Parts: sequence; structure tokens; C-alpha cells
Amino acid sequence: MSALKLIPLLLAWCGIVAALARYCPARRTLLMISCASSFAGGAAGGNLLLTIFNGEIAYSVVKALAGACFLCLWVVALAAFYRVTGSGGQGTPVEHEKAYVFTATALALPAGLLAGAICVCRLAPQGVAPLFVLGVAGILLTAVAIGIERFVPADITMTGEALLVLIVSLLLFASSFTLQLDLFSPLSMKVMKFIHDFVHQFFESMLVPDHLFFRRDVWEYIGYLFGSGVGFWGGLLIWFAPVILIGAAIRLERLPSVSHIRQGAQRRKLLAAFIGERRCRLIAPCMAVLILGAAVYNSLFPRVEYWDPKPVAVVVNASGAILIPKKGEINLEDGKLHKYLLKQGGREARFMILSTPDGRLMVTLDACAICKPEGYGQAEGAVICYYCKTLIPLETVGKPGGCNPVPVPLKVGADGVTLDAMTILNRWSETVTGSSRIKGGGK
Amino acid sequence: MVTDIIETRGLTRSYGEICALKPLDLLVPEGEWLSVMGHSGSGKSTLLNLLGGLDRPSGGSLQLGGEDLMTLSEDGLARFRREFVGIIFQQHHLVPYLTALENVMMAQYFHSVPDEAEACSVLERVGLGQRLKNRPGELSGGEQQRVCIARAIINSPKLLLGDEPTGNLDHQNTGMVMELLKELRSEQRFTIILVTHNREVAAWGDRIISLDDGVLVREERTCR
Repeated sequence: MSALKLIPLLLAWCGIVAALARYCPARRTLLMISCASSFAGGAAGGNLLLTIFNGEIAYSVVKALAGACFLCLWVVALAAFYRVTGSGGQGTPVEHEKAYVFTATALALPAGLLAGAICVCRLAPQGVAPLFVLGVAGILLTAVAIGIERFVPADITMTGEALLVLIVSLLLFASSFTLQLDLFSPLSMKVMKFIHDFVHQFFESMLVPDHLFFRRDVWEYIGYLFGSGVGFWGGLLIWFAPVILIGAAIRLERLPSVSHIRQGAQRRKLLAAFIGERRCRLIAPCMAVLILGAAVYNSLFPRVEYWDPKPVAVVVNASGAILIPKKGEINLEDGKLHKYLLKQGGREARFMILSTPDGRLMVTLDACAICKPEGYGQAEGAVICYYCKTLIPLETVGKPGGCNPVPVPLKVGADGVTLDAMTILNRWSETVTGSSRIKGGGK
Repeated sequence: MVTDIIETRGLTRSYGEICALKPLDLLVPEGEWLSVMGHSGSGKSTLLNLLGGLDRPSGGSLQLGGEDLMTLSEDGLARFRREFVGIIFQQHHLVPYLTALENVMMAQYFHSVPDEAEACSVLERVGLGQRLKNRPGELSGGEQQRVCIARAIINSPKLLLGDEPTGNLDHQNTGMVMELLKELRSEQRFTIILVTHNREVAAWGDRIISLDDGVLVREERTCR
């Protein structure tokens, strides 16, 4: 099964190698060595990270590297767009073979390192043998991809920017298969937070709603910024913008002059050839759009089976307390998340109990202070907020703030956990239906 | 030295049992105007279709401009037609809902990319500078045929084929079209092969060949 879940990642790696080979067909052997060694190095490095540090730090490092690649893509995309639209816009710069070799090798090294590390993160925690198999598979697939690339139609060429966009999109696609490495969900969450904070600060500073110039219909437009989709759409914009900018840069690049050819048909034929070449160069960004779209899909619908038990109804005793035994039908110390439903006096609340890796029992609401109360599931050493897909490491469950589930005070006895029903109900009301939450469910 | 643009050896075309063109050896030098005469069913149009790459021979060899048409794939043949051949039909075959200019630009589009200025200049060259925006239905037969000529020459073909191009025209328009073809040939130096059953029209050529029942029966030089 562990091998199966690596298939899309290894295919993405093949795509990266094939793209590099297409960009620099002259030095395939050098490229193959660079790619294979960097992939193996990335796999070894990723494994070292996972071994030395705990999981979260290792994942954070790999995720930060993937984020850095995305930022590089943004910079390159802006530069490419400026080059063709800025004053005295230029066509595609003529690159010499040495430049192609240098660019391809320079990109192969970080791409291979990151791809190897991403594959290891997807595989972890497994033994040494699968890691060895992964390294060998990566090296073999590098050779296969370079062989297969020869069958891709010769018309399909790519610029340096298009190569970068394809590589980064494939890396982001590969990382989207691992919850801890997914970049789109955190991106959309940051966008949502930024927009909300910005709007809040901006209008607060203007003493809105008492401002004279704002009419009622203006508020309706402002309301869109607080809608639940603002993070998603804003995230999509940032996610796809560099690819679109690079695509636009290729589309807008000036064609070589054909005015020196006197015969109309010959002139048009040459012009058509240039246009055809430019159109073929657009294939890479178009593929990148599809690949990034697949990464978004992975992020929105991760193929992870969350542990999400059905809430068990609890009984409140005469003194208003809830007693949940440590051992019984449910073992609170089994490391799993356990959900409960409290109903009292027409009010209800969901809460959950889990034991952290250091053995402490924690009780929290099945909701956080900022998201829609869609609850949490448990997956791969963390709980995940279903609404914003934020992963909360088990170590930090019970601490307030951010998207962490809201903690509830508890008394841990020898037999079980004692909770105050009214505290839970009140905290649920404050969290879920309180005045601080934006009506409509947005953050 | 003038080279042969067309060279056929034992060229045949059969449709089932019917042999429309019997083994034909033909050499056409570059820049020549060759008229092909014959009665209905003599194989004139069959020959023209073969020379234009519109049909494939049943046997023999066919070389046009140094390219062996027998070995070309469908795509190769289409590319050859686009770049090498211009065809003028008796029935014009203009797109009725496009203007004269658009009809010419459509040929440019299928060849490479449209260029409106160039299409305008070619239409002006054939005397239709004032009729650019008219649709075929708004043009006379002679004008339509001139649009057809503009469409045929816009991609600078090396070989211009005409299948009864004056068949639908009166005497005056026929003379006008033939005069235009003569001028264009001297300007652009393409080879013309023109199928007709009208001896007067055929006489505009440098050489006349006659077909009868798929066989080349007569060949003569004109005094032009």
C-alpha cells in the first residue's frame, strides 16, 4: 500500500525529469545524473530530517522549501511579465546551449532534492527497506522519463519560465498528497485572515459604521469580503496567478520580424511558424494549470480517512457534572480522538477528549474560535479542522488560540474525567453563536 | 535552363473497371501555360485532379516540383496543395456568406495566417478594389471568377490549375479573365494548366494537348 500511495508522486517526478530533458536535450546524460543523484539525496536528506527531528519540524522544513519554490515562481512570473509588457518590451531572449545546460542542471538539483524529500514525507513513518526501494525507483524512473521524453512531439518546446512553472506545479502537486505538506489550504486560510484583519482594521480606523459616506448598499459589497469563499477564491488567485502571468508573457512576447521577406506567402508562412512555436510554448503553462488544479483538488478533498467517531451522548448528574470513565466502552487513553454530545435544557454542545503524546488527557470543544463549527478529525499525528483544513499537532491540543480547538477545564481523577456541563454549554455558545462570530459562517 | 515542374510516367487512374486515364507520359516545363482539351469524359478533369493532389493515381509516377506525390501522406499532400497549387474552378466555389475579401483571406488562413492588406492588394490587382466587401451573390460571374483567381494566387503557388475557368462566362468576360491570367503569369512566373473544351480559350496557352478516352491523342504548340 505504501508503494501505491507513492505512484502519483513518482509520476510527478517523471514529469519533472521529462520537462528538464525537453528543455535541454543536448546533455541528457549529465541531466540524468543530476536528477537521479539529487532525488536520491533528497530522499536521504528527508529521511535524516524525519529521524533527527520530530515529525512536525521535518515536515515544516520540507513545506517551507516548497513554499520558497512557489515564491521563486512568483518572482520569475512577475519578471517575465514585466519583460514583455514593460517599456520597450522584449521578445524571448536568445539563450545559448551553455545557458540551457546551466539552467536545467541548476533546476534539477533543488527539484530532485525536494521531490525526494516529499516522497519520503509521504512514505513516513516506514522502515529502511521502503526508503531504499524509493531511492532506486526514483533513479530508475529518471532514466525511464528521459527515454520517454524522446517520444514527445518535437514541436513542444519550452522557455526557462515555462520549465520552472511546470517543475514547481509538479512539486506542489506531489506535496498536496501529504496533509502536512499541503500548501493550498494554509494559503487560503492566510488570505482569509489577511482580508478579514485588513477590513476590520481599516473600517475600525474609519469609525465605520458611523461614517457618513457609506450607504447601506456599500455595506452589501463589503459583506462579500466576509463571505466564506473569500479565502478560497483569494487563495486560488494567488495559486494560479504566476502560471497565468507566465502564460500571458509567452502569449504577449514579440515575434521576430518578418518584414524583410518580400513575398507575401513566404512572409506569412514564416510568421505562422513563429506563431505555431509560440503556441507550442504555451502547452507547458496550460499543463501547469491542470496540475495546480489537481493539487487544489487534493487539498480540498484529501484522500485521508480521518478518525472521526460519532459523538456519544453524555449524562449530566444532579450536581451538573459529567463523569466520563477512563476505561470502559471507550478507552480515553488509547491515543484516539473521542467525541461527545451534551444536551441540556434545549441547549447542546459537542466536545472531544484525547490523550496527547505525553499522556495527558485534554478536553476541548469540537470547534475553534474562528472557524465554522464543522469539527475536527484525527489523522497522522494531528487533528484537522474540517473547515479550514488546518492541522493541529496533538502536542498543542488543549492550548487556546488560532484554529486550535477551544479548551475546556477538566478534573482528571483515578477513574475518569469530570467536567462541568454548564461551562461546556456556555463556552460552546460563546464560541459558536457568540457575537464575535461573523454571521454566515466565515472566519 | 528550364526545368520540368511536372513529370509523369505511365500515370493512370481507374475507378473500378473504368480506366479514366490511361498510361500518360507528360513533361511540363516551369512557367509554361499548358491547355488540356478534350470532350466530356476524356479524362481532362481526372488529370487535373491528379496534378493538383486532389486525387491519387492508380499507377505510374507523378513528380511535381521535384516532389513524388505517390509517396506523400494525406497530411503531406494537404501541405503540398496549400503551398504549391492554386486552383480555379468553373463553379467558383466561393463561400457565399463571406465577402470577396474574406474569401481570399480564408485561403491565407489555411495556408498560414491572414493578412488583410495583402488580400486587398491582390483583389485590387484583379480589378476588384471597389468590391472588397461584396459577397459572391452581389458579384457578376466574371467578378466572381476574378475573386477565384485572387484566391488561387494569394499564396504564390508554383502551379495554377484551371478547370474550365471560363465555362460560365460570356465572351467579353472570358477575354478579360484570360488577359488577367496572362498578366499574372508574366508577373509571378507560375505554371498554368488549364482544362477547357473551348479551342479559343486553349489557344491562350503555349502548348495544347488533347485527350480522348483517357489517352493523349494530340499535342501542338500555339503561335503565342
